[in-house]
Parts: sequence; structure tokens; C-alpha cells
Amino acid sequence: MKNPFEDFGSLSVERKELPLERIVRAREEVMERMVHGYLKLVEEEVKDLVWLVEHSRVVKAYSAAVKSIRELHYDSDDIEEFCAELDSSNRIPYMISGPAGIYLSALVNHAQEDRIVLPLKDYQRAFHFVGYRLPDGKTLILQGDVGDFVGAGLSGGRLVVEGSVGNWCGAGMLKGEIQVMENSGQNTGEWMRGGEIHVEGRIRSVGKTLFGGRIFQRGKLVMPQETDPDV
Amino acid sequence: MVYNSNGALREAVHEIHDYIRENLYFNRSDLALKGKGYNSALLLSLMTGLRKGKALIIGEPGLGKTTSAEYVCCLLYRMPLGTIWGSEVAGHPEQTEEKIIGRPDLGRLNLGEEVVVWSHFAMLPVKIVDEINRLPETKQSMILDGVDRGNWEYLNDAIINREYCLFATANYQDRGTNTIIAPLVDRFDLMVESKHPGANLAYMIGSRGPATSTLRDEELEGEFHKTLAERSPYEVRMEKLELLCERFGEMIRRTAQVRSLSRTERETIRNQMDQIHFDLDSNAFLRMVISELSFCHRFGQKRSHETCEEGCHFTGYVCNGIRNCISNRFPTSVRSMAQAIAWFMGDQAVGIEHLKAVLPYTLAHRLQWKEEVVAQREKEPRNDPLPIHMAKECVRDMHRRYMEQAPQVKNALAVACQVAQGASMEPVQGDHPLFWEIRRDLGEEVLEP
Repeated sequence: MKNPFEDFGSLSVERKELPLERIVRAREEVMERMVHGYLKLVEEEVKDLVWLVEHSRVVKAYSAAVKSIRELHYDSDDIEEFCAELDSSNRIPYMISGPAGIYLSALVNHAQEDRIVLPLKDYQRAFHFVGYRLPDGKTLILQGDVGDFVGAGLSGGRLVVEGSVGNWCGAGMLKGEIQVMENSGQNTGEWMRGGEIHVEGRIRSVGKTLFGGRIFQRGKLVMPQETDPDV
Repeated sequence: MVYNSNGALREAVHEIHDYIRENLYFNRSDLALKGKGYNSALLLSLMTGLRKGKALIIGEPGLGKTTSAEYVCCLLYRMPLGTIWGSEVAGHPEQTEEKIIGRPDLGRLNLGEEVVVWSHFAMLPVKIVDEINRLPETKQSMILDGVDRGNWEYLNDAIINREYCLFATANYQDRGTNTIIAPLVDRFDLMVESKHPGANLAYMIGSRGPATSTLRDEELEGEFHKTLAERSPYEVRMEKLELLCERFGEMIRRTAQVRSLSRTERETIRNQMDQIHFDLDSNAFLRMVISELSFCHRFGQKRSHETCEEGCHFTGYVCNGIRNCISNRFPTSVRSMAQAIAWFMGDQAVGIEHLKAVLPYTLAHRLQWKEEVVAQREKEPRNDPLPIHMAKECVRDMHRRYMEQAPQVKNALAVACQVAQGASMEPVQGDHPLFWEIRRDLGEEVLEP
């Protein structure tokens, strides 16, 4: 059949796109790279889909995560969307909580914003290691319950959890502040060297080995003190 | 004398136009082109005559519907007024095929031979039907069918007109008129009104004696009649007639100082007009107009018996105000008339201005408006009869929409061209029906908006 548009063949085509289309495409590109970085991390760090929490592995995973996001331009909305992808998307075939949390922490720590809020309460899965190495000057607010090792290695930032935390909250933290609005699990503040942990609810147990720092429960100092550390 | 160059021929046509306007048909300007005023009835009749078209001229009795067509035909086709009058078909209910097309030669029939005596109306290239709406619909159809194809059949004989144009006049509805049914009215390229010229111009009519005398020559008219009545083959008679036309042309050049056109010159003009292309804007605008007059998202296309859905997404477009679907004769008429106007104005391409000038007149008789739309508009202040007024308003609206979206529309068509050639691109989306039509043409499943 004859091309009915032939008369316009000489006209150069302008691809005028709506600003929204451009924004959506840019966001999709960022998400694509985030997902790719996470999957690469999992591929490199997780063998047989099992990830053991060892200090050296955590450090190595974090370094790999930081490396993969080095040239990525993103903001807190992208991080929030990445959390949603981790929780329910088909794009991520396996979500391994540890590396996912470390990758998330790397994203938070290198984001341009100083204050980041992540609404996690509607997610099915628990995120571990969120707030890992949160640096000085950053505030991370987590809305909802989170998993283990939250705020581990905290490096001067302020972490607010509007819910409960799992075990090993603030493990090995150096400085900064963790505020938990509800309860915390076992070994809270294990190996912490500085900073403060404030828990408004129940603390299942505090860590056996603390090198410094202070833990408060409902405003009352519970560590260091002479009494039995189990509250 | 033959004027072959584009400019000389155009000058001759301008001369004819000016001669009629200044001496024979007094009327006000109601159509502006390049800042100059023209009378639509005269200008478009002239273009119809040049383009072998069909014009329906409406108006009150005695306001020059038939006479304007007669003058135009007389000068364009070099035929004395008396010959034209003799070929006219008068519309009345008793009109017969024998009077319109031809009759058996009774003398030869008595000898057992079946020979047809063709009417002057069937034979001459100039065809004028006076008060066509007083003819019954079957007779209207017979005339328009013949004119559509250019061949006239009677008994077992036929003649083929190589060149012809039709002017039909119609009074407004009264007790003696029939309706011109939609399929018949669609065959006219355009509809124009011969208006009252106003008190001051009307006062001048007849003040200089019978103006028609310069366009008559009884001796020549007699020769025309004799040639037409000959029993020689039709083509032979037409060749002889052309010689008489040349003599008449020479005569009016001497007496009235006005040029006229030979058959060859008319043919040259038509060829020149046919070569005038549409620029991209007029091309896209015409597509946009056609899409608004034929598009229906729900039912695939407009159909006279199907009504629009309440709250349709396309309520603001013309498709929602009309009942019928525009025919394929419409783009042909627009193309032909717009090229004629562009040629007349000396332009190299048909542009939006030419289209805007001809669209109301090519649309007015073809649009069947919904009653509620007519009710809204009929009391509006206006200078035109309601169908032409509504067509002008509708063209104005469509033009406004085009001006708002011209770059997007052209871009959509350019993208569509590349997609049709196999490029992997997404067709441009937009709200106007034309965007939807483009996507349909590219084989896309177009979903409800």
C-alpha cells in the first residue's frame, strides 16, 4: 500500500518529549543501575545464597557497594524506590537481607541529602544493617520495624528508628546517636566504642562487651553501670 | 491568439473576472484574498468553469444566480449568450429525459432507424440547470450522474463530453421545490450564494442599458444552432463549434475589449493548476479537517444513522456536531478549487489561505448538522445563509486548532512516514482525531481515551 505520509518524508522528525517522560526515564535509568549494582554485589559476595556475618565480609561488601555507586546520581526518592524494589520487585530475583542493607547503607551514606526518611513499615521483609557506618552530619529516619545490626559501625550520624530494632543494634558503633522509639533485641550496643543508644521501649539485652559509649532506656542510663546488664 | 505562458493566461482570466464584475454582475466583495476583495459567487463560478467543476448557486429569485453563471460560461467558453440560453435546462416537475438528454429522431424512426437527437445541454461543455430543486429527484440524479461521468446515454447511443462544467441554481425552499438529497448535493464541488448587491449597486443595474448585448450575436448564434443540429458525428460537430467559438472570441475582443479563452488555453490552465502542489501546512491542515469530519472513536467512523455517545471524549470537535461522514468527493473538490485559487493569485503552492477561502464553500452543502447545533447558531448575526455561515465558523475553529497544534501535527505525520517506511519509532500521540487516525493507519490498536 502507498505510504499516505510520503509528503512529510522530507520533514525532520522532532522527538519532543514531555518533561515527565524525561524525569521518569532518568529515574528508571538510576534504578536500573542501582539494581545492577546490588545484583553484582550479591553475585560477588554471596556464595550459595548464604551470607555469613563476619566483620571482614561486611567491610568488603560495603567497599564493593560504595565502589558500584560511585558515579551514580540519585536522591532519597531513588533510595526509597530501591527499598520497594528490594521488597517486592521481579527485577531482583533474590533479596539477601545483609548485603541488601549494606548496599542501602552505602546509598544513604553517599546521598547528597543530609536528612533521609525511609518509610519501611509496609514492607514484608526486614532490612538488616541499615544505617551501617552512618557518617557525621547525616540523619536517617527509619519508619517502621527493622532487622538486625541496625546502626552497626555508626560513624557520627543520627539514626532514628520509628519502630523496633532486632538484635545487635549499634554493634561496633564509633560515635553518633541511635534513637529507637520502641523495643530493641539482644546484644544491643555490642562492641560499641562511642556514641549513644536511646531506646524508648524494652531492651532485650545489652551487649556483653562494650568498649565505650552509652545506652539509655526511657531516658535512664543503663550502660555503663555496675548492675547486671540484662534489663 | 493563444496565450501560452502562465502569466498571460492568468491575466486573461483576471480580465474576464474584472469585465464581468465591472459591467455585468454587480455585487459586493465577501471574500478576501491577499488583501483584495472578491465576490465569492463570481470568483468561485469562474474557478468552477475553469476546473470543469460543478457549482450549486443558491439565492433569492432574481439576484443573478443564473445570469452570473451565464456570463462566466460565455467568456470562459466563448459561447454567445443566446446559445447558452438555448442549452439551459429549466427545473420543473414535468421535465423529461427527452428534453434534458436527447430524443429519438422521429423521421428516422419512421424509417426504422434508431437515431438520437442529442439536446444542446448534453452536447455543449457549458451546462446550466436553472432551479434544480424544482426538478424531481430522479431527474436531478440523471443530470448529476451524466455530469459526474461526462457521458450521456440515450437508447443505444452515447456521447462523451471531453470538457464540461455544471452550474445549477436553487431557490430557497418553498411550496414548489423538492429537496436535493444528500448523495446528490455531495456531487457539487461547492455551494455559493448570489447575494443582493445592496441598494446602491442595485440602483446601478440596468442604468447603462442592456449589458448583455455585447455578448450576443444573432448571426453567430444561428450558426451555432445549425452546427449543433447537424446530423454529423458528435466529435465533428464539436470541432466545427470550436471554430465558431474562435469567431465569437474575436468578436467580443473587438466589441467589448475583453479576452476570452480557447479550448487549448483552458486545457493549458488546467494543466498548470494541476501542477500546483500543496505546501506542508495546507497538506496537514486538510488532513486535520478531513479527520474532524469523518472520525468517530466509538464506531470507527461517522455514520448518519449512528449518534454520538453522551460525554464523548471528542465532544469539542466538529465530528460531535454533525450527523454524516464527509465523502471522498470533498477532498477532490477542495484540492481542485484550492489549486485554482492559488493559480488565480499567481502563487506557486496551495497554502492555508487558499484552503481557508475555499473550505466553507466546499463544505457548506456537505455538512449535516445536528438539530441542537443548528438551533444554537441560527439566530446568530451573519451575512451568509446559515449553511455557509456555519461552515465558515467551523473552518475558523478548525483553523484555530491547527494553528495551536501545527508543529505537533506535522511532526506526527513525519514520524508516521518513517514508521510506515519501517523505522522503529513510536507514533506521536495527541488529542486531535488526526493523531488517532495516524495511529490507526500504522496498524495500532487504539484504545478508548
